[in-house]
Amino acid sequence: MFKFMPYLLKTLWRHRARTMLTVSGSAVALFVFCFVGSVQEGLDRLTSQKDSTLIVFQANKFCPATSHLPQDYDQIIGKMPGVREVVPIQVFTNNCRASLDVVVFYGVPAAKVQKIRDFDLVEGSWDEFELNQDAGIVGEAVARRRGLKLGTKFSVGEVKVTVAGIFNSSNKSEEDYVYTHLDFLQRTPGMNLVGTVTQHEVVLNNPGDSVSIARAIDDKFRGGPVETDTRTKGVFQASSLADLVELIELSHYLGYACVGLMTMLISTTTFMAVQDRIKEHSVLQTLGFSGSIVFFLVLAESVLISVGGGVVGTGAAMLALAGSGLSVGAEAVTIAFSPSFQLTFAGLTGSLAVGFVAGVLPALAAARADIVTGLRQA
Amino acid sequence: MLIEIRNLTKSFQKGDETITPLRDVSLDIDDREFVSLMGPSGTGKSTLLNQIAGIDKPTSGSITVNGTEITTISRSRLANWRAGNVGYIFQTHNLIPVLTAYENVELPLLLLPFSRAERRRRVQIALEAVELLDRASHYPRQLSGGQEQRVGIARAIVTDPKVVVADEPTGDLDSATSSHILDLLQRLNSDLGTTLLMVTHDANAAAIAGRQLQLNDGRLISDARNESASPSKTEGSVHV
Repeated sequence: MFKFMPYLLKTLWRHRARTMLTVSGSAVALFVFCFVGSVQEGLDRLTSQKDSTLIVFQANKFCPATSHLPQDYDQIIGKMPGVREVVPIQVFTNNCRASLDVVVFYGVPAAKVQKIRDFDLVEGSWDEFELNQDAGIVGEAVARRRGLKLGTKFSVGEVKVTVAGIFNSSNKSEEDYVYTHLDFLQRTPGMNLVGTVTQHEVVLNNPGDSVSIARAIDDKFRGGPVETDTRTKGVFQASSLADLVELIELSHYLGYACVGLMTMLISTTTFMAVQDRIKEHSVLQTLGFSGSIVFFLVLAESVLISVGGGVVGTGAAMLALAGSGLSVGAEAVTIAFSPSFQLTFAGLTGSLAVGFVAGVLPALAAARADIVTGLRQA
Repeated sequence: MLIEIRNLTKSFQKGDETITPLRDVSLDIDDREFVSLMGPSGTGKSTLLNQIAGIDKPTSGSITVNGTEITTISRSRLANWRAGNVGYIFQTHNLIPVLTAYENVELPLLLLPFSRAERRRRVQIALEAVELLDRASHYPRQLSGGQEQRVGIARAIVTDPKVVVADEPTGDLDSATSSHILDLLQRLNSDLGTTLLMVTHDANAAAIAGRQLQLNDGRLISDARNESASPSKTEGSVHV
């Protein structure tokens, strides 16, 4: 088949305007597909996390701004069997509702950040963070989106933080957060939150105990000063993003619709190319090209256009995802839009599959056309 | 005998009407013969040519070319057979516009088990035979009508086929160029020993062939030998 490659490429180049337009259309469709896919992947990552971590929240509260748990609950929870670590967390966000530019501050005891997170500092130092009360370590996505650099002072509302470090994480959603000292966030002017936290994060020895320990925690504080609602981190995040989940599911179908449109577009272009070259295909068959060779030539054109669009669209989407640091969030839980190998693979194999599917009917039409009738075409 | 045609009939339906361009044609053609097919329009000349070239199937009858009965073999096997046994010269050249003269001539060779070097050798010989080696890298749009037709002839002979069919090869050309092309066809027959079947409306063109057939209303009405035409050389012929 490679012997025919010059003919194939020159044929596509002959109608370069049509080829370029179709490749562009396919690229746009694949770009949308990958972008939407990254949101879905981000959501899946959040909601399918291993249930070795529980989030203890105030019962019947949803927004972090309204959840106020006594900080000393950590002492009680820490003594419960099966609990490895308890981290009191004060959460502050610039927007509790769904937004594309959510900045979330996590106030955590400085010494515990490294214990519970697998952050890799790409700039700055942990010492700088631990020694300075107003210091914050900033996720790469936030830093990129907001143009933050080491030493930059920035503020959201009354919270004013100096960037002591920039981190990346294997959990891309974490890169949308800013970690500060717990007492610093509790003492934010106008908040007066000393002694209370938004939530406790409970790390378990055994993920299999998550349901029983969550029930035990809620039972322990039932009838107490503040009742709790304890869920695994995945369930908690899915619940926080409940309003967005349906939209994301819908947008996922829009991604598939884009692939469908791409199939139609390439199929139409290939059909037009076949219609334009009925005589040419008849000449080839007169020279001895079999119907199956003509079939594969037309199919190869369709696949080349589709894969061309796939490479451009998927590549552009991955670059945009890597460079933009975009995320969507609600109730201080964020979904990171990040590039991934799986998404790249899905985009490229998807474009390959679209090329085959779109090309089959035009290729059959070309292969089955009557030679003599084709030769009579003007 | 290279070609044996027996009781060949071709008919097809056009609306309510049944059209029969070929009626019970029987014909033998020897190896190295140059045969012209003449007759008024619509008498089945091109239909007969297409049957012999294996690009159309008859309604009944048989065609045997070099021992192969081509009317009964499958479409894909027929394509393979065409690649190795038939060269086709079209009236309107029908070169692939995106390919150079060299690439156009090379096309049929891509279907055969030749190395790249062997393909190059054969293309060069074929282009040399039609005196267009210096135009090998030219695209069809950069060639004159006569040059395009010569590239078409080179493409038809490059595989060294058993039979070359030409459907009004000078129909689109002016008289000077036609004369050049006819000379070339005659040389292919006489020097290379190529068996040639040529459909033409032009009596002068037909006169260069050693054998002239006349068709009328789908029937063979005349089969004449032309002793004044140059006979093909049987020895010392150059093979592409």
